[in-house]
Formats: sequence, C-alpha cells, structure tokens
Amino acid sequence: MTETIGRDELVRMLRGAVEKVRAGHEGLSRLDSAIGDGDHGTTMLRAMGLVEKTIVERPSAQGRDRQGAAPFPPRPLRALLNDVGWAVMGVDGGAAGPLLGSLLMGMAEGVGERQELDAAALADAFEAGLASVRRYSQAQVGDKTMMDALVPAVEALRAAAGAGQGAAAALAAAALSAEKGAAATADMCARFGRARNLGERSRGFADPGATSMALIFRGFADGLAAAR
Amino acid sequence: MRGIAMAMKKFINKREDLVKELLEGYALAFPRKVRLAGSNLVVRARPKAAGKVGVVTLGGSGHEPALSGFVGEGMLDVSVPGEIFAAPGPPRVFEALKTADRGAGVLFIVLNHAGDVMAAKVVMEMVKKQGLNVKMVLTHEDIAGGPRDKPDSRRGLVGCVPVMKIAGAAAEAGRPLDECLAAAERASENMATLAVAMSPATHPSTGQALFALADDEMEIGLGQHGEPGTGSMKIKTADETADAMLGRLLADLRVNRGEQLLVLLNGAGATTLMELFVVYRRAARVLKEKGIVLARGAVDEFLTVQEMAGFQMCIVRMDDDLLKLWDAPCDTPYLVVR
Repeated sequence: MTETIGRDELVRMLRGAVEKVRAGHEGLSRLDSAIGDGDHGTTMLRAMGLVEKTIVERPSAQGRDRQGAAPFPPRPLRALLNDVGWAVMGVDGGAAGPLLGSLLMGMAEGVGERQELDAAALADAFEAGLASVRRYSQAQVGDKTMMDALVPAVEALRAAAGAGQGAAAALAAAALSAEKGAAATADMCARFGRARNLGERSRGFADPGATSMALIFRGFADGLAAAR
Repeated sequence: MRGIAMAMKKFINKREDLVKELLEGYALAFPRKVRLAGSNLVVRARPKAAGKVGVVTLGGSGHEPALSGFVGEGMLDVSVPGEIFAAPGPPRVFEALKTADRGAGVLFIVLNHAGDVMAAKVVMEMVKKQGLNVKMVLTHEDIAGGPRDKPDSRRGLVGCVPVMKIAGAAAEAGRPLDECLAAAERASENMATLAVAMSPATHPSTGQALFALADDEMEIGLGQHGEPGTGSMKIKTADETADAMLGRLLADLRVNRGEQLLVLLNGAGATTLMELFVVYRRAARVLKEKGIVLARGAVDEFLTVQEMAGFQMCIVRMDDDLLKLWDAPCDTPYLVVR
C-alpha cells in the first residue's frame, strides 16, 4: 500500500480521475438531462482533457532548451495542483469548472511547500480544498450538490488518517464515502443550481455534480492503487 | 418535465463548434465595430482611448445579440462569451479585465446567475491578489425571483442592457471609475424586470426543451433558462398581460406620480415586434393615466432565449444624469445612438 503521496503518486491520482470521468461522462450527461441542462458530461470531459494536458511537464518559456531536450525539474506539488486547478477553471461550463478548480487550487495552498504527503497531510490538503470551494458555494450537505460527495469524502479521509491508515487506504475510504454520498442525493430535493427550478421533480435522480465528484475520488483512489 | 422530445430544428453544424462558429460569424458581420481577440474575447474594433475606464461583462452564449452585441464605442469594451447558457471560466474573464484596462481601471458588469457570479468571485480574488483596479456591479432586477430586500434571489435579466449603456457612456465621457460605478449602481438599484413566456426554447447543444407549457398557457415570471415563475395561466390578451406585468413592476419599484421611467421591451426570440408594439402602446397608456412620465423607451430583441416565445418588460427610474447617459452616443452592432 502506498503510505505517502509524492509527485508521481499525485500524477497517478489525477490520471485516475481523468480515466474514471471519461468512462462515466455519458452517464453524467444522462443524469444532467434529467435534472439540469444536459451538458455536465461534456463539461467534465473537457475539464479532464485540460487536466491531462496540464499534468504533462513541459519546459517553460524561461531559459529552457528550445528543443526541449534538456532535462528540467518537474513542478513542486503546489505548483502542479495550482496549474491543474487554474486550467480546470477555464472550462467554460458554468459552475463546474470554478468549483473543481477551486478545490484543486485550495489543495495547492493546503499542500504548501511539502513534497511528500502522508495521510494527515493529504487530509489537510483536501480540507483546504473544501474550504476554498465553500468560498464560492453556500451549498451544504443535503442540498443535492457536489458537496454531498465532497464533504463525506474529506471527512472519511481525515478519519482514516486519524486512525493511522496510510494515504492509499485513506483515499479508498474517501472514495467509498463519496460514492455513498452521491448515491444518497437521489432522494434529495435540489436547493441549488438549475436543478432547483425543478423542486420536488428533482427527486429520483442522483445529482450529476455529486456523481462526478464521486468518480473523481474513485479515480484518485484507483489511480493511486494501480501498479506503476 | 425535462427531456421532452421536441424535434429540434436549428441551422447548426457540430454542436461542439457552435459557440466558436457563432462568434466567428458575428465578428465577420461587424468588422468595423468588433473583432475577436485572445481566447475568444469580443473586443471593440478600435480600442478605447487610454485613460478612460474600461467596461467588461461576461455571460453564456445562446442569448444573442446579448451580450457581445453591445461591444462598441459608448458601451462595452470586452465581452466574455461562455458556452451555451453557461458562464465562461475565470481565466478568460481575467484576461478580459486586463485587456480592457486602459489605465483608469475597469467596471465589471455581472448578471446574477449562479455560474456567472461564481466565475466573477474567483476573478475578483485574482484581481485583489494582482492589484488590478476593477469594480464590480451585479444586476439583479427580476422581481419574480424574490423580494426587493433579498437581491441575491433576483436574477439579472435584460436590465443589464441599460446598465451597460449608462456605464459605457460614463466611461466614454471620461468619468473616473468610482463615478462610473455610481451611475451603474444607481441604474441597477432603480430598475425592475418581469418576464413572460408562452412557449419554450430548446437547448441548442442538447436538443431538450428548457421547460414545458401547455398550448393555451403562458407563465409570468419565468426566467431565461426556464426558472419557474408564478405558475402558468391561460393566455391573456396583450393589454391584460401588459397591465399585469406593469402593475407588479410599478409596485415593486414604488414608482410615484411624476417620476420618469425608461421602459424597455425585450423579445425572447419568437415573439414578434408586432406583438411587442401592441404591448408597449398599452404600457404607455397606463403610465399616462397614472401620471408617470415615459421618458425613454426601447422595443427590440436585446437578450433572447433561442426560439422562446415571450418577452421581458424592464422599467428603470431615471434621473437627469441617467437620462443624459442613456442619450449619449454609442455605436455597437445592436445598439446605436447618434
């Protein structure tokens, strides 16, 4: 089991999320067609394309070998998360980009200068990410939004870290909680976003944003668990 | 309710190219007034003189001519179009604010919709971090959204157009940022809008109807993305509809005898100018009876919702300065004052 998260592990987590969301994007659009305007799957697909592009290390403009052949140092964890977050914010699909982007950029702040995260430091990072999301969204657990997956996931991560589990086990616990939280949104009545317009008619369908957040956590966990 | 199978009949190519292609065509149609710059920002063909305040807005596409139709001399310097009915991401908005800054700061006009406001909040944090001189004004004048003392619940509808006109004129006149903001806020806080819908629009990317209404029904208060209003009712005549809407608007804004109003009628896409003129005539008559001055008016399609049938009625309480700014020249593709 992976006990700590360094740069390679973080990249595996992000790639895992890309893979899961890609595989599930049609389902997301179906859910969004039921209670939103049907574009969540394609928005998330575009967002994941931006994640994939941004995690690749490229020589930056300053002082690098023009051929790109010379070795260059990869970005620190904080810069990597920050770049990925800013890229996701540029997805032009309403609230999804800014919310996911602010989660990642908040995580960057939470990571700070650290280059190796144990489970507790990973929980710190996700808590900072959640705090950043809360600056832009007043939604609470129970409102049928991505918060219904994100909040329990972060709580489970912290609990697992507190119980002395390693980073991989803590992320696996987080993914399970996110999935449970997303599934539970099917019984809720939407109080945020455009689904709110449907009121009681929004019941019976899981929230697309919570579902994509669960896919992301599942991707983090599976990506990390996968053999290198 | 959603997912109603309506055969979508629209002239489009690939759905994913829709916004890119509409912007390309728009810029080609008005080459002397606008062009595309950077990451699909719509900017004035000739930038504003240095030392004047820039005016920027953002918003989803699919509401043409809004919002990019009002980029030009005397109104907007830059508009940031998003995907269909979806806000643009903060990076492009930030780029727009930097592009529009001619050394005197930027007035940033945001319509109260969740995605737009979220993008704006992120951008305003960046603005603070980087020390840019940007002031934001939020339009929220849809009286169907909630009471006047709960502005967060009120959406931004076509009232953004007079606010953009007034802010743009103040900026073009060389007023400093604080004064441009004050004028824009005075207009924003003195307006009220109500929408009515008769038949829904289809989302051009998904082909789904935004809402449903029976053939013989209309709904007052319905938002521009199908946000619910005050319940559907049997279709009324033009005069009855005008009376019902104007009555609620005047009460909400507490308009008194002798005050001056700008009245703007905005077609939603499928409602004809013929109908709008009939409604406008009635509104003018009602105002006259009440001793309220119809100081200025406009009837057109400013902010549409695809092929939705219906319209928005917007009233703005004007003072002499706001009238002066409304009358100032502007030269944009969809609003020209000489």
